[in-house]
Parts: sequence; C-alpha cells; structure tokens
Amino acid sequence: MKKLISSLLVAVMVLGLMACGGTSESTESTEPAPAAESEAAATPETAPAEESTAEAAGSVYYLNFKPEADQAWQDLAALYTEQTGVPVKVVTAASGTYSDTLTAEMAKTEAPTLFQCGNAQGLIDWNDYCLDLTGTDVLAEMTTSDFNLTDETGAVKAIGYCYECFGIIVNTALLEEAGYALSDITDFASLSEIAHDIHDRASELGFDAFASAGLDSSSSWRFSGHLANMPLYYEFRDDGVTAQPATITGAYLDNYRNIWDLYINTAAADPTGLTTYTGDHSQAQFGNSEVVFWQQGSWEYANLVGETYGMDPANLAMIPIYCGVEGEEEAGLCSGTENCWAVNSQASEENIQATLDFVHWVVTSEEGTTMMAEQFGPIPFKNAKTPENVFFADANELLADGKYTVTWAFNHTPNVDDWRATVVTALAAYSADQSDANWAKVVEAFVDGWAYEYTIQNG
Amino acid sequence: MKKKNKTNDKAALNGILLRRPIQRCAPFFILPTFLAFCIGFIWPFLQGIYLSFCNFNTPADAQWVGVTNYVKAFSDAGFANAFRNTAAFAVVSIILINVVAFLIAYALTQKMRGANLFRTVFFMPNLIGGVVLGYIWSMIFDGVLKAYNTYLTADASYGFWGLVILVAWQQIGYMMIIYIAGLQAVPEDMLEAASIDGADKRQTLFRVIIPNVMPSVTICTFLTLTNSFKLFDQNLALTGGLPSIMENGSKINATELLALNIYSTYNINKSWHGAAQAKAVVFFLLVAVLAIAQQTATSRKEVQQ
Amino acid sequence: MKKQYSAGSTLLTAFFALLSVIWIIPVVEVLINSFKANSFVNLEPFALPNAESFVGLDNYIKGMTFGNYPFLQSVFYSLFITVMSVALILVCTPMAAWYIARVQSSFARIFYYLCLFSMIVPFQMVMFTLTFTADRLKLNTPYTIPFIYLGFGAGLAIFMFTGFIKGLPLEIEEAAAIDGCGPLRMFFTVVLPMLKPTLISVGILEIMWVWNDYLLPYLVLDRTKYMTIPIHVQYLKGSYGTVDLGATMAVIMLSIIPIIVVYIFCQKHIIKGVAAGAVKG
Repeated sequence: MKKLISSLLVAVMVLGLMACGGTSESTESTEPAPAAESEAAATPETAPAEESTAEAAGSVYYLNFKPEADQAWQDLAALYTEQTGVPVKVVTAASGTYSDTLTAEMAKTEAPTLFQCGNAQGLIDWNDYCLDLTGTDVLAEMTTSDFNLTDETGAVKAIGYCYECFGIIVNTALLEEAGYALSDITDFASLSEIAHDIHDRASELGFDAFASAGLDSSSSWRFSGHLANMPLYYEFRDDGVTAQPATITGAYLDNYRNIWDLYINTAAADPTGLTTYTGDHSQAQFGNSEVVFWQQGSWEYANLVGETYGMDPANLAMIPIYCGVEGEEEAGLCSGTENCWAVNSQASEENIQATLDFVHWVVTSEEGTTMMAEQFGPIPFKNAKTPENVFFADANELLADGKYTVTWAFNHTPNVDDWRATVVTALAAYSADQSDANWAKVVEAFVDGWAYEYTIQNG
Repeated sequence: MKKKNKTNDKAALNGILLRRPIQRCAPFFILPTFLAFCIGFIWPFLQGIYLSFCNFNTPADAQWVGVTNYVKAFSDAGFANAFRNTAAFAVVSIILINVVAFLIAYALTQKMRGANLFRTVFFMPNLIGGVVLGYIWSMIFDGVLKAYNTYLTADASYGFWGLVILVAWQQIGYMMIIYIAGLQAVPEDMLEAASIDGADKRQTLFRVIIPNVMPSVTICTFLTLTNSFKLFDQNLALTGGLPSIMENGSKINATELLALNIYSTYNINKSWHGAAQAKAVVFFLLVAVLAIAQQTATSRKEVQQ
Repeated sequence: MKKQYSAGSTLLTAFFALLSVIWIIPVVEVLINSFKANSFVNLEPFALPNAESFVGLDNYIKGMTFGNYPFLQSVFYSLFITVMSVALILVCTPMAAWYIARVQSSFARIFYYLCLFSMIVPFQMVMFTLTFTADRLKLNTPYTIPFIYLGFGAGLAIFMFTGFIKGLPLEIEEAAAIDGCGPLRMFFTVVLPMLKPTLISVGILEIMWVWNDYLLPYLVLDRTKYMTIPIHVQYLKGSYGTVDLGATMAVIMLSIIPIIVVYIFCQKHIIKGVAAGAVKG
C-alpha cells in the first residue's frame, strides 16, 4: 500500500511538471494552495498569468454562449489583457447548457460580469442582474437601437451587438453543374423539384441535394430552433403576436413538415439515423462540395472560405427558407439576433467599469472591430468594419428588392433548451418512420410542449 | 461482586490512562474531521432543509414560502415519472445483479481453472467511472441498434434496459467479490457434515450454503438498492433522460431517474430552485426509509436463520 | 499437491472464458475505435481499423487539447484531488475514530451517530447548498476541495475505523500509557500500525469514489478553471459542433489505462479491500 501511495505521489508530481510545461500556468500548479484571488488571470487556454494583476482595478468575466466564436473571444481577451493589464476571462458554455451555466455561475461569488441576455425571456429571468446601460459610452457608439432590449421603464438592459441571418446556403457552382440557376428557385415548389431532381441523379452527378439534417445536439438546433422559426414567424405575423404567447396554434406546421421532409428525403444521410449525424458532418459535406444545399447562417461564412474548405465566395449564396406558405416568393432571409450583452449589475463597481471599458474597446478598437466583422458580420456600431461576408450582401439585396425580413420569432420560445429537446425527440422518431401518427407527435411536442414549457418557465 | 469491582477498576484505569489524555488532545484528533464534516455535510444538510421551504437563487436572497415547493414538486409529472422509473429500475437491477453475482461467485469458488483470472476480469468495470461508462455504452448500444434502423434514445425501453445492462456490467463484479468472501466463510465442518450426511450438491447449496451467506445477501441487496436509487452519472451520460416526450399535456423525460430529475429541475430556472431542493428532501427521506427498512427486515431474517 | 479438475469443471472454465471475453468487449471497443478516424467510429463502430480508417495515434494527439482544454491538466487535477483527498481522509478520520472509540463522551457518541446518518443521505440532498458553501469559503479549487471530500467522505471512514478500533484489545494501549507514552505518540506508533488492514480498505474505497466522482467536483470546482477527467469526458460529449468521437475514444482510453494498470498490480489489495469494506459497511 505504501508503495502504491508513493508511486501515485510520484505520478502526481511528474504530471504536475508536465502540466506546468504545457500550459505556462506555473503559478497555479507548483504552489500547493494559492488563494483563489491570486490566480485572477484567465482560463488556461488564454493568457499567461498576469503578474501585475494587483494593480488592475477590476476584471472582466465574460460568459459567452456561441461556441463557434470561443476561440476568437479567447484571442481578443488575451490581446486586451496584454494591452491594458486588465484580466479578461472568457468562458463558453457547451451548447444547450448556457442557461444552466449562467444560473450556476451567477450564484457564485465570482459571477460573470458580462453575459448574454438574448431575448425577452432572458430579460424576465435576469432583469435584476441587468445593469441599466443608458448613458454608457458603448451605447453612444451604437447606430441603431433596434436590437436592444429595454424593460418597461425604458431602461436599456441589453445591447444587441450584432445581427445575423440564416437561410439555405447554396453552392451555386454545383447548382449550375446540375443544370439550374439560382433564379430558378423562387418558392417551395421549385426548391423541392430541383432538390428531388438532384437527389435522384446523385450518383451520376457525384453530389447530393441537401446536407445531412443531423439531430445530434451539435446540429439539432438548426431545426428545432432556426427551422422552427418559419411556422412560428408566420403564425405570429397572422395573429399579431409581439410578446411571448402562453400558447401557440401550430397553424403552419404543415409547412414545417414540407420543408423537413425535403431536407431528410433529398439528402445523402440515412433518415433513420439522424441522431448520430453531427453539425460537423453537414459542414464537411457542404464544405467539400458533396451537397448543394445546407441550412445554416451567416456565421458559417468564415468557416467555409477559410483554410479547411477554401470555398470560393463567388460560389456561395444564401436563399430564404421556402416552405410553401402563400406569398413566400416575397420572403427575405431570417434576420435578427440573440446576441445581446448584459452587464451584471450585482458585480463590484470596479468590475462593472472594467467590463464597460472592455466592451467599449471591442466595438471601437481596430482589433475588436476586425474580430467582430469576421465573426459576427455587420455590427450596429459607428466604427464597424464592413464584413466581406457575401451572405449579408444577399440579405441586403433581398431587402433592396422589397422582400420582407423574416424576424426571429423563436426568440419567444419558453424554456428554450427543454422545448427544443422535446421537438427533436419527436422529429427523430418521425424521420425514422415518416407516418402521420408520428407527425402528430411532432405537432404535440410543438404546440402542447410550448404551453407546458410556458407554465414551467413562469411557474 | 468482585467481578463488578474489577470492571469498574478497569474503566477507571482506562479513564485515567487513555480517556483523559486523548480528550485533552481533542483539537488535534477530532477537530479537523469534525470541522470538515460540519462544512461538508451538516451545514449543507440543515441549510438544504431550510431552503426547501424558500424561494431562492442564492441562500442570501431566500424568502420563506412554506410548503409551496413541496406542492409544486408533487404536482410535477416528471417527478412521478422519475419515481416510477427508479422503482422499476431498482427492482430489476437488484434481482439481476444479485442472482448473477451469486451464481458467478458460487461457480468461482468451486474447483476451477482460471478462477482468479475470471474474478479479476469481472471486477474490472467497477473501476471505471459512471460518466465514462455511460459514454462507452451509448456508443455500443447505438452501434447495435443501428443494425435495426433505430437508436438508443428512440424509445424509453431501450434507454431503460440499456441502463440495466450498463449497471449490471459495472456492479456484478463488486457484488461477486462480496459473495465470494461470504462463500469462503462458510464453515468447512458444516460442509463436511453435510457431505457425510449424504447431502447432494443442490441440498448443500440450499440448506447449508445459502443460509450461511445471508449476511452477504443483506449487504449486497442493501448496496444495490441504495446504488440504484442514487444512480446519477450513468443515467446522465447514457441517455441524459431522453427521449423527452409529451404525455397528457406534460413533458416527461422518459428515462430519467430521481437523482437526475432533481438536478434538471434545479436547472430550469431560479423559480424552480426551491422545488428542486424540496424534491431532494423527499428523495432523502425515501432513501433513508428504504435503507432502514431493508436493514431491519434482512437482519431479522438473519437472526432467525 | 496437484488439484483435481473434473470434466464439468473444464466445461465451466470454457464457459467462463467466453463470458470473460464478452465482459471486456466494451473496453476493447474503445481501444479499437480510438485508432479510427472520426467518421468511421460513427459509421461502423464494431469494425476493426482498416487501411482506410486507421489513423495511428492521431486521435491521441488531438485528444490532448480537445475541447479547448489540455487533457493532461484534467489528469493532473484528477490525480491531485484523489491523492490529497484520500490522504487527508486516511490521516484525519482514524484519529477522530480513535477519539470516538476511546473517549466515549456524549459529543463523541453524537458525532458517531451523525456519521452513520450521513452514509444514507444521498448527495442530491446537499449538492446545491454545498456548492454555495464551497464557493463562499473558497473551497472551489483543486487545492481546497479535499477538505470537502474529508467532510462528505468522513461517514464511511469513521464508521469503519471506529468498528475496527472497538475490536482492538485495550491492554496494548494501556501498557503504552503506563510506559509514559503520550496520546499523540501512542496514536502514531501504536494504534495506526494496527489499523493497517482497515486503512487499505478505506483507502481503496475512497480512491475509487473520488477518482470517478463527477457531480461533486462539477458543481463545486470553479468550472471556469478546473476540470477533472470525468468532467472533461462529459464536457466533450455535451460539446458543440466539434464532437470528434475518435478523439473522445482516445481520451477515454487514456483515462482507463492508468486505472487498469494500477488494478493489475494491486488487484489482491483492491479485491480484499472491497470485500472487507463491504462486510463491515
């Protein structure tokens, strides 16, 4: 036993040395019990421990909810720390766990100073923790307040720092190879016809119509969140809904079924095993030019033209999601945001100030605006850089043509992660066996699930 | 009379020689553990009971609301469902694990080549953590079910039996070790007597061996019972409670057990923290009652035999 | 003397050999898949790596930094927390148990019963409040969390040690006391050596618990800085866009190997420890 313990101890020491060497976190690993405050600087993957932290007045802790932007934030935070000496810690919650993580972190003594409060529901939950941002420097930099969240007194509680659009991304080169032009797609009927034709000729063409509609957690939000926006948007438009409704009718769910059927039946992926297909899988399919269509958003632009896939921007276009609704030829892309910054009002004064300074720097400095343009496209700030993202050009073109913008109705979803999980379960079951009975389960998950989650959320 | 004096003397001697000096060193001997015990157990336990009657985000902003949280907990369909799942799971796994573990232990205590090697192999899964196990098995089940065009979280029954298999695989080895210890402790002379009396193998097993390993049975049923009630990691990592389905207007996570249900209730939002803590108190009472009842029931049986 | 094996016993051996093979399939599965490219793990999880799917040690290299957190760091924290916690438990609880067994004051008796009581309280009962307490008292780092493990793990350890000490003959300690041995020296030179078998049992049970524990460190540790192996694995699973099954299998394999190595070398102790622990527990 003695031998066991001593050999374990040796192993610990060796590993400790390795951990030190590997991560430059020397202060943390060698000293047996440093007080938590003395290691203020950042997560291991960001900056080396800042020696001058004692002088810095406050620190920033940003709880990020966009995993795909994690690395960019880490780099930016490290840069800011290097320039100003103010420690900035960026933590990204794994997908689907943002609200859990926020709840847990907010209860701690070192709570996030900057967090996401993306929709009306978020504001209901976290209003007490949202600092009134009226009169701050960062607000003065904004070009529009369209994306900001205000409470009933008119206080600005969260600022929408970017907006995004999503739709069906098209590889126009492949589309032409199959004998079609982008202008051939004007509504659901034409989209469906083209997709079916490509799918039928897949072996001859060497590519398929749609990328896999994976229902793995890394991909399912594209359908339980973004695609679900279509029926929600049209229903809310008809009923004049502007605030979170307690119940929904599901009037447009047949249209949802149209488009979902198209996704799963004109793809190379086996519809019975969708839960095992990941987001990466569909990205790789599209990036490697194996498919023509991929439902995704403007944020994927950098990935597609980047090193891994090296796609030509000239071959990329984004078209609206058509699902057979009357008048949808006039639809534009789905544009909106769930990216809203809120500053923790219960943080210490120094930390609040440090956070406001950091945010101001992000939207005004060269480095910050460059990163924002790359990661998030156009941002509503005076110093914003023009992004090269072609998807936003598509969105603007559609707007210029007088098409209507499909706003992000899904921002009203109650208890959003749970609601989506139920929809995904039903969708997966339906995809494996596309019967009416199984579709009824999807409708139930959608409509009854909404009512249930609303009561839970507000219970 | 003399005897009593002697014990008194002994107690007194013990007191002077051992008790008082140790007592004087109390800060050294017992204080660290006691302090840690207070911080790590007693205080959170008491605070937990208090908070189950409160609305709270953090203990600092707790507001007394009486039994509201308990009402909310009991009217939650997910909690009732998790209770049913847990009860079913406990019954199935107690029987399966104990029967198989005993049979293996019995076979391994016979004269057999490689018994030690087999024992080593069967015990091995115990050393792997629940989260890792869940991950491994979800891959295996998905791989197997793929052949039948389906997947683990497609149906509640897959997830349930999947969890049973996982836990059986993990715990059979542990229980087997306890049964082997019990079997080896059966007195040789009793076995000899049985064989002299002409008892066959079956009679020996049921009349001599099983009554003698009853203490092991008690321990193993106790452990499997509490293990299956407290099961969390494996449940989380294997299915995470999925599939979540709508049933009579309420959503239930079809493969969720009690511990996971409490955890996910807490994560809904701030207004459910109190209800989650109330569920935890109910859960504690349930486990405590079951454990005590099981202990008294089987130990009574042991005495009779 | 040579053992006699019957024909039935040979049959039984064959059967158990087969069962053993089945038993280790899950681990072999992980090993196989850790050498395959990500897409092949998904498509054909049971196939052996072939020329097309074999990627050598790529998954292991990738797994080292997978999920934006160095894996070795998780290994270090896991090892550190386990060793420190178990060491703390093995130092502190025998002392407390000796105090309880020998002093028998009402305080000692109450403390003992509270320890018994804590053994049947499920972690869910205290997990939320423990998280708050740990956060307030800065027990949320790998360097301070052993104190929590001491508190929450004290129940079983004290129960086992007290039971064992009560069975020890008083005479030895009395003799030592008559020779003028003070309680501190007596504990370390007389009592502790006698506790060796129980120390091993408790040590093994606690190591198995702490090493594999997921929820306590997940809730208590400052998750913005520290991960342990189980947390790391779960994070990879719940992760986003980048679910790389091949690399995850490599990470899992790396987390299993040390356990199996330790097990192979100390299996006698481990199995004995478990048996002894269970019989007393």
